[in-house]
Amino acid sequence: MTTEADFREITRFQSDLDQCMKCGFCTFFCPVYQEERVESSVARGKIMLIRGLLAGELDYTKEFADKLNRCTLCRTCAVNCPAKTEVPTVVVAARADKVRARGVSFPYNIIYRWLLPHRILFGNIVRLASWFQWLFLPKTEGTIRHLAFFLSALGKGRHIPQIAPKFLRQMIPEVNSPPAGVEKKMRVGYFIGCMTDYVFPDLGQHVIGFLTRHGVEVIVPKRQVCCGAPAFLGAGDFDTGRKLADTNVRAFEEAEVDYIISDCATCTSALKDYPKFLADTPERMEAYGRFAEKVKDVSQFLVDILRLPASAYEPSEEAKGKKVTWHDPCHLNRYLGIASQPRQLINSLPGVKYVEMPQADRCCGMAGTFSLYYYELSKRIADKKLDSIEATGADIVVTGCPGCQIQLIDGVMRRRLPVKVKHIMELVK
Amino acid sequence: MLRPEVISQLQKIVGKENTLTSQEDLTAYSYDGTTTWAHRPDVVVLPTTTDQVSQILKLANEKRIPVTPRGAGTNVSGGSIPIRGGIVLCTTRMNRILEINKANLYAIVEPGVVLQDFNLALAKEKLFFPPDPQSFLACTMGGVVSENAGGPSCVKYGVTKQYVLGLEVVLANGHIMKLGGLTPKNRTGYELCMLFTGAEGTLGVITRVTLRLLPMPPASKTMMAVFDDMAVAGEAVSNILFQGVVPAKIEFVDNFCIKRMEDMFHFGLPTKAEVLLLLQVDGSPAAVDSESEQILEILRQSGAQVARLAKDEAEAAMFWKARSAGFAAVFGAAHTVLAEDVTVPRDKLAEFIRRCGEISKKHDVFISLIGHAGDGNLHPSVFTDIRQEKHFSQAQKAMEEIFETALSLDGVLSGEHGIGLEKQRFLKRAMDPVAIDLMRKIKRILDPNNILNPGKIWEEEGDD
Repeated sequence: MTTEADFREITRFQSDLDQCMKCGFCTFFCPVYQEERVESSVARGKIMLIRGLLAGELDYTKEFADKLNRCTLCRTCAVNCPAKTEVPTVVVAARADKVRARGVSFPYNIIYRWLLPHRILFGNIVRLASWFQWLFLPKTEGTIRHLAFFLSALGKGRHIPQIAPKFLRQMIPEVNSPPAGVEKKMRVGYFIGCMTDYVFPDLGQHVIGFLTRHGVEVIVPKRQVCCGAPAFLGAGDFDTGRKLADTNVRAFEEAEVDYIISDCATCTSALKDYPKFLADTPERMEAYGRFAEKVKDVSQFLVDILRLPASAYEPSEEAKGKKVTWHDPCHLNRYLGIASQPRQLINSLPGVKYVEMPQADRCCGMAGTFSLYYYELSKRIADKKLDSIEATGADIVVTGCPGCQIQLIDGVMRRRLPVKVKHIMELVK
Repeated sequence: MLRPEVISQLQKIVGKENTLTSQEDLTAYSYDGTTTWAHRPDVVVLPTTTDQVSQILKLANEKRIPVTPRGAGTNVSGGSIPIRGGIVLCTTRMNRILEINKANLYAIVEPGVVLQDFNLALAKEKLFFPPDPQSFLACTMGGVVSENAGGPSCVKYGVTKQYVLGLEVVLANGHIMKLGGLTPKNRTGYELCMLFTGAEGTLGVITRVTLRLLPMPPASKTMMAVFDDMAVAGEAVSNILFQGVVPAKIEFVDNFCIKRMEDMFHFGLPTKAEVLLLLQVDGSPAAVDSESEQILEILRQSGAQVARLAKDEAEAAMFWKARSAGFAAVFGAAHTVLAEDVTVPRDKLAEFIRRCGEISKKHDVFISLIGHAGDGNLHPSVFTDIRQEKHFSQAQKAMEEIFETALSLDGVLSGEHGIGLEKQRFLKRAMDPVAIDLMRKIKRILDPNNILNPGKIWEEEGDD
């Protein structure tokens, strides 16, 4: 049985747990409920299960964990909740308490605790796995599929780009200065998301190139590690989260930068979530707070901080004369309130026609580990997004999160749509 | 607990993926929108066809297992709580809109269709289903019919029962029965559709609904008025209707709710107003213009401090969004909220509001008022905390007096929420005993083994 101490994280967010008055409005907004139509999918149900846990009526069973995991943390419930209940926060806290009470199960303990902090090694294992994916992945749903987060993403039926032959961190120097003749305006740190590192290294190179050409010195601290989102948000492994957070905070402190830029919405948001979830001491609170303050999404940085003249933006070759639509990553739109900046950026590209898709801010269903546990469900959520994309008749769908990108690439390929999936920075020359 | 073979029979009927038995799932189907009621079922089934519903009921009837029909579980009467355990029959996976017929102005839907999804589908066709319970984002059509739901628009357009043309109902013995038809006029036999409309799932399970539709009114205008006295605002509402103008909505928000809404959402409402009335007229553009002017004039003459049109679409939308947030404003305000929906004749509204003030003072509990002033349907909410015994019992006494006051003013116990569990205790005082007895007899004919939503509406006296 569980004891009081097993609810340490949940009770930190007690007011959210108490606030829900069970109106059920979240059912209308929850992408998971919209597919499953059962009460445990939706925010209200999850709140009631967690209340049941605290009341001693329920326990951290496998089934309970399953219910907690069936949430993309998209935050659509929270922004539409009449009582403003932050259910995703409570869900993450409950995942954490479950881990504290029951530990992280194999093989995730290996992945989260041992591999995530060692980027190159993890990357190589992922690559190794990708070489052999044809060998065992298509047939096995069970053990092998659960070997690694990436492995599974590469698994049965899912179309995703190949693991890059060379990782971003192996391609770029630690200090990237503006080219000769360009005045240095600012010094920023670049945070490498795992997806950018292993799957889209060209994107990272492109972002760094763009920034340096516009007078931004870009420092890429070698010691930085994974943002920790899959560990502390996805799995509730706060211990690993803290280890990763501490490493990242130190790495960027040493770099002495004005801002920390990321091209991954999930990373940006997770880095900003360090103080909320992981700060267990006043020292950490202080250090995480200072760090989180500096973290900026790349589109937000360009539009709100760097404020380049419109003439600085030129469409890339593949974007010229094309119809483009934008998919709002949950972590940009609902977590950070970044919605106008990317649209403004796209609209400032001459010759690019912007068209807004219906429900642009609806979750694409990727949600990291969620799509690993529930690929079928994740695909059904993606289908709604694909309908929206199709309705625009756009040539290119752009977004600000490599995670969403992978989901959209998979969807577009499944439907054989004549649509390209790009990161917003890839539109810009 | 149900025997394993019953569970496996249910699994055979609806499929494993539509049968929920885990402790977690049972907890997730133990509650509704009320604050104090909860009871777990033994199993939850999510049928997808009428035939499955029929087989479930046949089995339950044979084995004498209680069956509680449930949609989204948004009701605030305890109606969908499986108070005797057994089966929760959840209709959320029967959610197809089968037909929208523009020429004949009707639609046929399955019971699990969400009202807002239905509204959106109708809006595409420029059609309109007026009843608008404020749970519209979540509530299902089966529930809307079973609770005979109302809402702000009902002052002009009436409640759900005025829109039910036909039903498909599965009876307790599993028989599938079709009632009514497609036409707005239909005088064939007893009005059996009405028997199941508002029956709170105690007489049968609704598996298909044919609803009358209206063309979407081409124009509408929103007005607001501020009063410094609740009773005066109540009189103003009577004056409007007395002079022959029927707004689509007349909503009433008291100072407490205005302040709560402002704290929570920063709408920009006038926080000093004792009472805020929100009104809407709809119809042809010309009628909307002249009616809104007339209403504003009446409001001013009746003592409104401010009475004006919404500045623009955005402000109008803000007002209605604020109103629909009323539920949150009220329910989040205290640990336990006793929220009721008594309704009085319109000309007694002012008197009723006055007496609520007296009750609040007498029992030293806070009572907030929000509601549909246009049809005399108010939602007095008593704020309390069930964990504080003394205060809670005072709150309950206050609530009882509110009921008694409404009844003494020729009002009714429930305007739109239904009786369920929440108001069971008061039914005897509100309804002719002969009529209650007749209800029991009707129930016994249709459901002799008392399997359908047992323990609801009237208090059982050891005769079930």
